[in-house]
Amino acid sequence: MPVFKAPFNGYSVKFSPFYESRLAVATAQNFGILGNGKIHVLELSPGLPGVTESVSFDTADAVYDVSWSESHDSVLVAAVGDGSVKIYDTALPPPSNPIRSFQEHAREVHSVDYNPTRRDSFLTASWDDTVKLWAMDRPASIRTFKEHAYCVYQAVWNPKHGDVFASASGDCTLRIWDVREPGSTMIIPGHDFEILSCDWNKYDDCVLATSSVDKTIKVWDVRSYRAPLAVLNGHGYAVRKVKFSPHRRSLIASCSYDMSVCLWDYMVEDALVGRYDHHTEFAVGIDMSVLVEGLMASTGWDELVYVWQQGMDPRAS
Amino acid sequence: MATPSDFPPSPPDDKSPIPEVVTTPSPTPPTTEAQQASIAQETPKQQDSPPSVFKNSEPLREDQIQNAIKFLSHPRVRGSPVIHRRSFLERKGLTKEEIDEAFRRVPDPSPSSQPTVSTQDGQKAVSNVQPQGQVQAMQPAPVVMVPPPSLLSRFRWYHAALAVGVLAASGAGTAVFVKKSLIPRIKSWVRRIMLEEETDPLKKADAKPSLAEEAVAAAKAASAAASDVARVSQELMITKSEERKYFEDLTRLLGVQVQEMKSLSNNIRNLEGNYNNLPKVYSADQEVYGGGLVKTSAERRSYANGSNIDYDTRSARSASPPPAPPADSSMPPHPKSYMDIMSMIQRGEKPSNIREINDMPPNPNQQLSNSRIAPKTKPWDYGQAPQEENANGPWWQQKNPRSTDFGYETTASRSIGIPNETNTMEPAALPRQRSWVPPQPPPVVMTEAAEAIRLPKPQAKIDQEAAASDDQSGVSDELQKINKFSETGGDGSGNLQITEIQEEREQQQFSQEGN
Repeated sequence: MPVFKAPFNGYSVKFSPFYESRLAVATAQNFGILGNGKIHVLELSPGLPGVTESVSFDTADAVYDVSWSESHDSVLVAAVGDGSVKIYDTALPPPSNPIRSFQEHAREVHSVDYNPTRRDSFLTASWDDTVKLWAMDRPASIRTFKEHAYCVYQAVWNPKHGDVFASASGDCTLRIWDVREPGSTMIIPGHDFEILSCDWNKYDDCVLATSSVDKTIKVWDVRSYRAPLAVLNGHGYAVRKVKFSPHRRSLIASCSYDMSVCLWDYMVEDALVGRYDHHTEFAVGIDMSVLVEGLMASTGWDELVYVWQQGMDPRAS
Repeated sequence: MATPSDFPPSPPDDKSPIPEVVTTPSPTPPTTEAQQASIAQETPKQQDSPPSVFKNSEPLREDQIQNAIKFLSHPRVRGSPVIHRRSFLERKGLTKEEIDEAFRRVPDPSPSSQPTVSTQDGQKAVSNVQPQGQVQAMQPAPVVMVPPPSLLSRFRWYHAALAVGVLAASGAGTAVFVKKSLIPRIKSWVRRIMLEEETDPLKKADAKPSLAEEAVAAAKAASAAASDVARVSQELMITKSEERKYFEDLTRLLGVQVQEMKSLSNNIRNLEGNYNNLPKVYSADQEVYGGGLVKTSAERRSYANGSNIDYDTRSARSASPPPAPPADSSMPPHPKSYMDIMSMIQRGEKPSNIREINDMPPNPNQQLSNSRIAPKTKPWDYGQAPQEENANGPWWQQKNPRSTDFGYETTASRSIGIPNETNTMEPAALPRQRSWVPPQPPPVVMTEAAEAIRLPKPQAKIDQEAAASDDQSGVSDELQKINKFSETGGDGSGNLQITEIQEEREQQQFSQEGN
């Protein structure tokens, strides 16, 4: 299984929705505390070496997240630590990039998510407690959602309803929003500690998962949100990211500060179905390919990006 | 509602420029249109057929509101910022409507300026209401990912304890110093007085002192003493402040020294760690990187040969995992170099490897290049052609047969009947799904049995047949049950079919077991 060694600490990895063999990695120098950032676009290849870098972009500040456009195959959006949101076009030569830079957030932008149904807008979540809605062709944000009392760590679109999204925040709540409404439509006090990540079930539009500093992942149904559907225990430290499989209804992937990547099936008694311990530092980024079933990628503060098939050992050669 | 078929709805906010792509025929727009027509958002109405599942449709809970009112009326709570109060209530599970109602009922001097009520100027309300100052006050140091409240309070205690300690120490020190300096000064002053007194009697012995002269001398002495006292007290004040300054400088220097020593010891530990781990990391690296590791620049290829210089710098940065994670601490063990960088930042130093980069767009009006591929349908929006498993294709397409062997994709788990499954979302007929698909009803194995079930017959005959087909008594019991069910008159052919399938399946199972 191929491994990519980045010069900086990895923060996020995303597969391209257009090309099976393409992925983007967001990295930050000095663990993202203070320093530059870099975005890598990687290509998987059949022979050795399994993964090569096709282009990279330098940024002045750390890049915390990256998201591919769903409308243009070569465009990606980056969430940068200086509060800016930058758009890159990999089809243009690097000196022409970035093609846009939006400076609106007052603090670090921690996540960016492109709308998979409408394909024309994206969300950014920032440590300035707000979530902003943007469109590619607009020079400024379209909406700002300001209700959280603390850093918003992630905002994710619903895969079926193009106007609904969820946000996970350090104020320990998960909020459901509808862009047609002025404020949040649901507030779920999901955990007793900060909620670091959330993701929707691709096959059940009312189910979503949250992961928290309390080391658990909880699966919620918005129709009966007072109690979770499932609580997944098993990580030794805070769970940094959680992702629902695009191919299987009840499969969840998660990565944690305990340096492991875990696979869960929340509908089964013994939910932990897989565990990978390939990282030697915090595992902070994870993605499952939409185009290739079973293909996963992860990255961590050990500056490595692993791409592997479920069931295989990520470190096997 | 004026135009029920008019997608997109024209929202009161200015979001209409986003064209609603009509690929998702979601049932929610008509409902939300209706709800937007009404101004108050708090109590969503159960209008039209499906209300949006992403809204609270529960009525306000009076007991929760009462608890919230008690909370908000507490004097200490009154003093806290509004955002904290809201956040607390949200964490207790109150809905937005209940929180608004509680705020409304409690006479609140500072208006709860939450952006939920009006829909007209929704955007402005949402973005500009919260005073930034309150929010900023809550932010701890920027990047630390651990729970900040405890860290913040820890910092507060630490700061408070340190301040109290420093003040007490400086006070005690100045008191000691003052005493030390005061006593000799008093002594010298007394001595001076005594000398004057000695000289005075001598003068008196020599020349007959008159009362007046004595008085004059005494007055002089008194004034001299008073001026002395004044001078001495002034000097005391000056020395006191000086001493305090010196003391504070001293403590500060001591603190700096301590920190330097700490960092020194850290470095020593690092170096020791590196020396110890060098052989281990080297060999671990061989196995990790043996299989085709790619570097971004050519110079780093020497890394694979294990040049020690590269090794030291690299392992100093991304240190080997901590020897033993602390037993039950809530904070995950951060890499040593992370702590180094944090302490560097806190001291005000900047890490040396940061470059000046200009990452602004060279042409802010650059056009996007045209997309070469049309967007692909997602696997959960069925309709996508199934991607064939290609054993000859690139490695990432080769599905590992083990990956399905998670042991949960059995009929048993599927038939658990998850209450929240919306069956329309995952049709069994989805060709792309590799998950469980109900098997086709098997062909009728025993036509006589099938007919026997359909048509009422005396039980004895069926029992005979069942006994003939299989020796196990369990089969006959099952068949009896099924026959009874069908004889009592099922609801129609559907039920009969189900029983038939069950029976056939059991037949198959038992015949397999027989084999």
